[in-house]
Order: sequence, then C-alpha cells, then structure tokens
Amino acid sequence: MNNAIEVENLRKEFKAYSSRSGLKGAFRDLLTRNYKVVPAVNDISFTVKQGEMVGYIGENGAGKSTTIKMLTGILTPSSGKISVNGMNPHKERERFVQTIGVVFGQRSQLWWDIAVQESFRLLKKVYKVTDEHYDNHMNHVIKTLDIEPLLDKPVRKLSLGQRMRCELAAALIHNPPLLFLDEPTIGLDVLVKLKIREFLKEINEKYNTTILLTTHDLSDIEALCERVIMLDEGKVIYDGALRNLQEKWGEGKELQFQFLEKVDMAAVKNLTKAIPVKWELDEKEQIFTASLEDNDELISQVIAKVVAAFKIKDIKINATSTEEIIRNIYEKGAV
Amino acid sequence: MDKYLEMIRIRFLMMLAYRTNYYTGILIYGINIGAYYFLWSAIYGGKEQIQGLSVVQMTTYVAVSWMARAFYFNNLDREMAMEIMEGKVAIELIRPYNYLGMKTMQGLGEGIFRLFFFSAPGLIIVYFVFPIEFTWDLSVWGLFAVSIILSFFINTELNLLTGITTFFLYNNTGLIRAKRVVIDLFSGLLLPINFFPGWAQEFMKFLPFQGISYLPSMIFTKGFSQHQAIEAIGQQCIWVIVLIIPIQLLWHMAKKQLIIQGG
Amino acid sequence: MFYLSMFFQYISQYLKTRLQYRADIFVEFFSDLLSQAINLVFILVVFGHTNLLNGWNRDEIIFIYGFFLVPFAVFSAFFNIWDFNERYIVKGELDRILTRPIHSLFQIILERLELESLLGAITGLAVMFYAGSRLGLSVEWYDPILFVVFVAGGALVYGGVFIMIACISFWADARTSLMPMMYNISNYGRYPVNIYNKLIRFVLTWVLPFAFVGVYPAAFFLEKTEWYWYSFITPVIGIIFFIVSVLLWNQGVKKYRGAGN
Repeated sequence: MNNAIEVENLRKEFKAYSSRSGLKGAFRDLLTRNYKVVPAVNDISFTVKQGEMVGYIGENGAGKSTTIKMLTGILTPSSGKISVNGMNPHKERERFVQTIGVVFGQRSQLWWDIAVQESFRLLKKVYKVTDEHYDNHMNHVIKTLDIEPLLDKPVRKLSLGQRMRCELAAALIHNPPLLFLDEPTIGLDVLVKLKIREFLKEINEKYNTTILLTTHDLSDIEALCERVIMLDEGKVIYDGALRNLQEKWGEGKELQFQFLEKVDMAAVKNLTKAIPVKWELDEKEQIFTASLEDNDELISQVIAKVVAAFKIKDIKINATSTEEIIRNIYEKGAV
Repeated sequence: MDKYLEMIRIRFLMMLAYRTNYYTGILIYGINIGAYYFLWSAIYGGKEQIQGLSVVQMTTYVAVSWMARAFYFNNLDREMAMEIMEGKVAIELIRPYNYLGMKTMQGLGEGIFRLFFFSAPGLIIVYFVFPIEFTWDLSVWGLFAVSIILSFFINTELNLLTGITTFFLYNNTGLIRAKRVVIDLFSGLLLPINFFPGWAQEFMKFLPFQGISYLPSMIFTKGFSQHQAIEAIGQQCIWVIVLIIPIQLLWHMAKKQLIIQGG
Repeated sequence: MFYLSMFFQYISQYLKTRLQYRADIFVEFFSDLLSQAINLVFILVVFGHTNLLNGWNRDEIIFIYGFFLVPFAVFSAFFNIWDFNERYIVKGELDRILTRPIHSLFQIILERLELESLLGAITGLAVMFYAGSRLGLSVEWYDPILFVVFVAGGALVYGGVFIMIACISFWADARTSLMPMMYNISNYGRYPVNIYNKLIRFVLTWVLPFAFVGVYPAAFFLEKTEWYWYSFITPVIGIIFFIVSVLLWNQGVKKYRGAGN
C-alpha cells in the first residue's frame, strides 16, 4: 500500500503581533511593534495510508487547520517535509490540487449567484474531467447525496444542510484519491450528518479514497474513523486506533448518586475510604459522582455501602465517554 | 452618550492599528497636493489672478481643501453597504443604540484621528514645501474650525443617505462611486466653485455640496470677507438640518423593508 | 489553451450572473459616464480661464483624456482587484482559490471580471474622435494597430501596478485603503507630464508609470514628435511591470498566512 500522506517534522511559525494596551500603547505601536514567533504546528510527523479514514482532532488553536492548509498547499511550511500523493503540495500546487478534494465547512466552494449545476460544470472544466467520467461518477454522487432537486437553484437560496451536500459533491467532481474535510458537519442537523457519514463510508469503500477529517463533533469520528491523530498546542499527543484510546483511558466507570436527604461529602468519603474511589460533588444538582476502576466487585461494594447508609433518589452507572476521555487527555496534556 | 464616546475611541484605536494606511496616506495626500499645485501653476501660467484668487491663494486653497478632506472624508457608505449586504445590520438594529448615530460617531473618530495625526502634521509639511500663506488671524481659524465641523456633518449625512440606499438596490457600488466623483467636483475640492460659469454657480447654490469643501477652504484662504464667511456657515447649518429629513425618511422605509425581508 | 478555454468558461458564467442583475449594469454604466463627464467638465472649466497648458491646447488635453479612458476601461474590466485584501485575504477566500488547479492570480482575475467596464472604451473613442476631428488629425493605416498595442501596454501598466499593490496584503497584515488613493495618482498620467517638476515626472514615468497610460501614447497620435520615444516604449513598460507583478505575486502567495481562525 502506498502512503497517501507523509509528514516529517512539519513546522509552521507565525509572527504574532501583540498590541500594547490603551491609547498610549497604540501610538507606540505606530512606531515599533512587539511581535513574537509562535509555532502553530510544532514538529509533527505522521503517515496516512491510501484508503485510511483518519480523524484529526484537537481544541481550537491546536494547529488542525494550519496542518490541513499545509497539506493542501495553501500555506508554505516553515520547515519539515510534506509529501502528499507523492508530491510536495506547495511546490507543484496546480498539479497537486488536481489529486485532492477539499471541503471547508465554513467556506463555500460554490459560486454564490449561479445555480449549483453551473458551478459543477465550471468545476468540471477546471479539473479537466471528461464527460464520460463525470456522468459515471457524478450521477452516482448526486443520487446518493440526494441533491438532484437542488441542482437548478442558486447556492444563496440553499439551506446549510443542502449547501453542505452540494459542497461535498463539488469536492468530488474529479474523483480525488484524497479528501480533506475541515469541519464538514458543523451546524448540521442529525439527519444530514448521518447522510453525509454514510456517503463518506461508501466512497471510501468504493474508490478506496483516503479521508482526513477534522471535526469538533466526536460522534463523526466514532462513526467513521478507526484511527485518530490528536493535536495539542501544535504537537501530536496521540496517534493510533480510536479503540485503543477507549480501552486505555476508558477503563473506569462512574457511579452517580442523588439522595433524598441532605448528605455531607465527608460522610460519603468516610464510608468508602477502604475502596480506591474518587468522589466529586456537583453542588448545584447535589449529584455525587464516584469514579473508579471497571471492576464489578468494587462497584457492588460501593453501591452496597452507600445504599445502606443513605436514602437514595437515583443511581446511574456510566462508562466513560470518548468525549470525556479526550477531555481527560487534554487536561493532563499527554497520553 | 458614553457609548458614543467609546465608539469614537475604538475607531481611534483602529485607525492607529492600521499603520501602513497611515504612512501611505500621508504620502499620497502629499502627492495629490503636489500634483494639483503643478497643474494650477501651469494653468495660471503668467497670470496674476484668476477669479480674484492669486497663485499663492490657489495653492493654499488646494492644500487646505485636501487636508480638510482628510478630516471630513469617510467610507461610511461603503461600510454600511457591506454590513447591509452581509446581513449584519439586523444585529446592529437589536443593539441598544441608534445605528446611524453610531456610524456618525465612527466617522467622527476617524476624522478626529486624521485631523491630529494627518492633517495637522501634513499641513505643516506642505507649508514648508509649497508657497502657501497661512493667516495668523485667529477669528479666521475659529470660523474655519466651525466650518469644517459642519462640512463633516454634511458629508457624513450624504454618506449615510447613500449607504441606506443599499436596502433598495441590490448593488449600489455604482451609486457610491458616482456620489464620490460628484462630491469631488461639486464640493469645490478639484476647483473652486467661482471658477465655474455663472449659471453653474447659481445652480450649485441650491446643492449641499459646496458646504463640504468650497466654503471652509474659501474661509481659510480669506477668499471670503468675515461677513461672507458667517453667511457661508449659516448656509452649512441649514444643510446639516435639511439633510436629516431624507435620512430619517429613507431609514424609516428601510427598516420596514428589513422586517419584511427578514434581513 | 486550457487557460483560454477557462477564460471563456468564466465569461459565460459571468454573463449568466450579470443578466440576473441587469439594473445594476445600467447604474454602473451611468456612474462611469458621470465620472467621465465630470473629468471633462474639469478640463472645460479650467480652459475657460487659460488657452494653453504648457504648450498643450484644450483639444489636445481632451484627446489625451479620451485615450486614457480606453486602457483604463480594459484595466477595469480585467483587473478588478480593488477589494483583494478584504475579499480574499481577510475573508480567506484565497484558501479556496489555492485548492484549485489554475494559477491563483488568473482565477481571481476570472472571478472578478467586470466586462461592463469596457463600455468606457466607447466613451473614450468618442471623445478621441471629437477632439481629433477638431484638431484635424489624420488617421494612417498603422494607427489602429499602434492604438491597440498602446492600449494593451497601458492596461498592463495599470494591471501591474495594482497587482503589486494587492501583493502588499501578503506581507503586511494591515487592511490598506491604498488602492482608491492610488487611483488619484493615476489621474496625473492624464495631463502632460511637462507641467510637473522633475521628481513627479520621474515618478510618473518610471516608478508608478501612469504617464504611459495617458499622455505618452496619446502624444504619438497628436504628432508630438518630441515624445515619440516614450510613446513607443509603452508596451515594453507594460510588459515589464506586468511580469514583475506576477513574479511578486508568486512570491507573495508563499507568504500567505491564511485567514485567522
């Protein structure tokens, strides 16, 4: 299998200006400015194989967009090596972009004032797609995404969900072997999300298309990606299977108690001091949460002790969610 | 009132932040004044006076008109057009202030900035480069100060008026451009109104444009007597008040339209 | 070839869009006409007070203005990049441009076509013919050819200068309103450069060579032999400035920082 993406010690620095505060500061800025070099992407390395679906996640400002922009040839790296589809994105930009498709969730690829199909036609020419290829491929795409009735409408008249489906189709006109999706489901309702996910799975299977996906919605990643690359402050902090992440970090269980009477935290802690368990209290809701190892014996013991001591209003047993795992990782800063 | 003052301050800071604009702006205004100086020198040739203005007065007129322009000029019409087309106006309308008032204050912030950091130093530089005569008569300076403040309001009102038309026209860049060239000529920035043939001068008396540049510049170059100057200021005042009417009228209609179209 | 076919593709899309907003075209055309009329009024009023401007008479000045309108119309139709900074840098539209397999500058030119500006060329020709007939100028067989070459040269000068100004946005993070102001300067190319002092003449000839859009090439048709040399290097200056601007652009794109998220 070929590697679709190879990245080695990739780095991108930005000069950030900081303005001095107040009017006096602003005048001083007129003459000299303070600036410092900030690495948005800090020596990252990874490879993605052809046909993989990879989730690229991180908090705002972690460097996701910057990486994507370097991988798509929009930005020039400060240092490091990139090879995407065997090419250097920025050097051979015009040849290179022929082999990728890009969807920016917050930015339209389509022409605002003209009908969707006119945009498609223009893009078809831009990417030099033959009629035959277009018919074979796009008819299917249009059908699967269910955008046939939208084709003769101008883009400005579409709803966000409709537009997003058209954007996706537009990015696939030249049937690229590699697809970059930057926040493709942002602001969409559940049904559209499901449709888009299903479609992505399908083209991945059908054409062995590599997909790199950034998103804030972890359910997208759970539904699509086996592998995640996690970024924090410009560094890769995790690169591996999503399942491993869950196994490694999602071991614990959570027990939630609500009591009928007013209960003191110290008393609860005192009850379970022999068992390795961590208590937390949500003051407002009066919910007591115990985090502990995923061990039936221990869980039963905690429940037994608590139930014996206080009158219970509600009990819940939760497994740690991916969201929580990731939050934990970010809080600790490393895997 | 506080929030309007704050708006002036914010604009002030914004102007300072864009420093490339600042440097190039001074350069370009300098070049503009220079070019018109040469053009007028060529036009005067050997003549002592044209229409009662000497070459020196004419040069002063050009320099002052441009420096005053730095104060009264703003792009409020274009900004409004942008905000309206992008639908941002709907948000502005639910904020607890008068949108048009806020825009005016933004323009004023810009104007005050340029007055102190652009026009004032610019005028001093120009004074040393070109043969210009400044008066030391404080009453002339006082009248001039009042006059350019009024010219700011006339110009801003015209900008607001053009900006509001965006509600009714899909794309009013043409109108905005047309307004700008009309103002450059009819305000007397390019050439004093008294250079025009008599019938055109009569006609222009009924338009608000000469209050923007011609009247204050003539006051400054002492092309007007004190009596004429006070009359000119009165004329400007009338226009400032009269122009409020169409603005309020169109704004009222625009808001209705906004409700119907939903922004 | 590919670029030529893309050019026509975009033009056909452009026409479709524009036909939706026919009223705008009229408004725009009218405002162009108005600004041209105002410039003529300026010349007429000025010549109400003098007969000669450093040896150039009224009709010659009007002729130069008429000529200037033609390359300017071509420039406005194809290099409509006034709002490059706001539209493409601040709003990040350049991201989209850069993910497509066509040269970025060419794409922007195509997207921003404003062919209705070409109507200005008609006004320009009319003004030239009016002034030319009053001056009794004769038309030789080679005049139309040279006219086309000079117009192309002038439009390239304009395009080159404005592309270079647009390139500033790649380096400086400031929003600049340089372009409309530069428009002011470009107007001085419409007057005979010998009314200016040496420094400004030098600037208008070699630094911001707007004199090559108006007075220099027009001087050829006005049979002002002393300016012929300048007339004939018009296309050369145009090509040089345009090439330099494209090279600068290519460097600038490498510096593109992307829209801040």
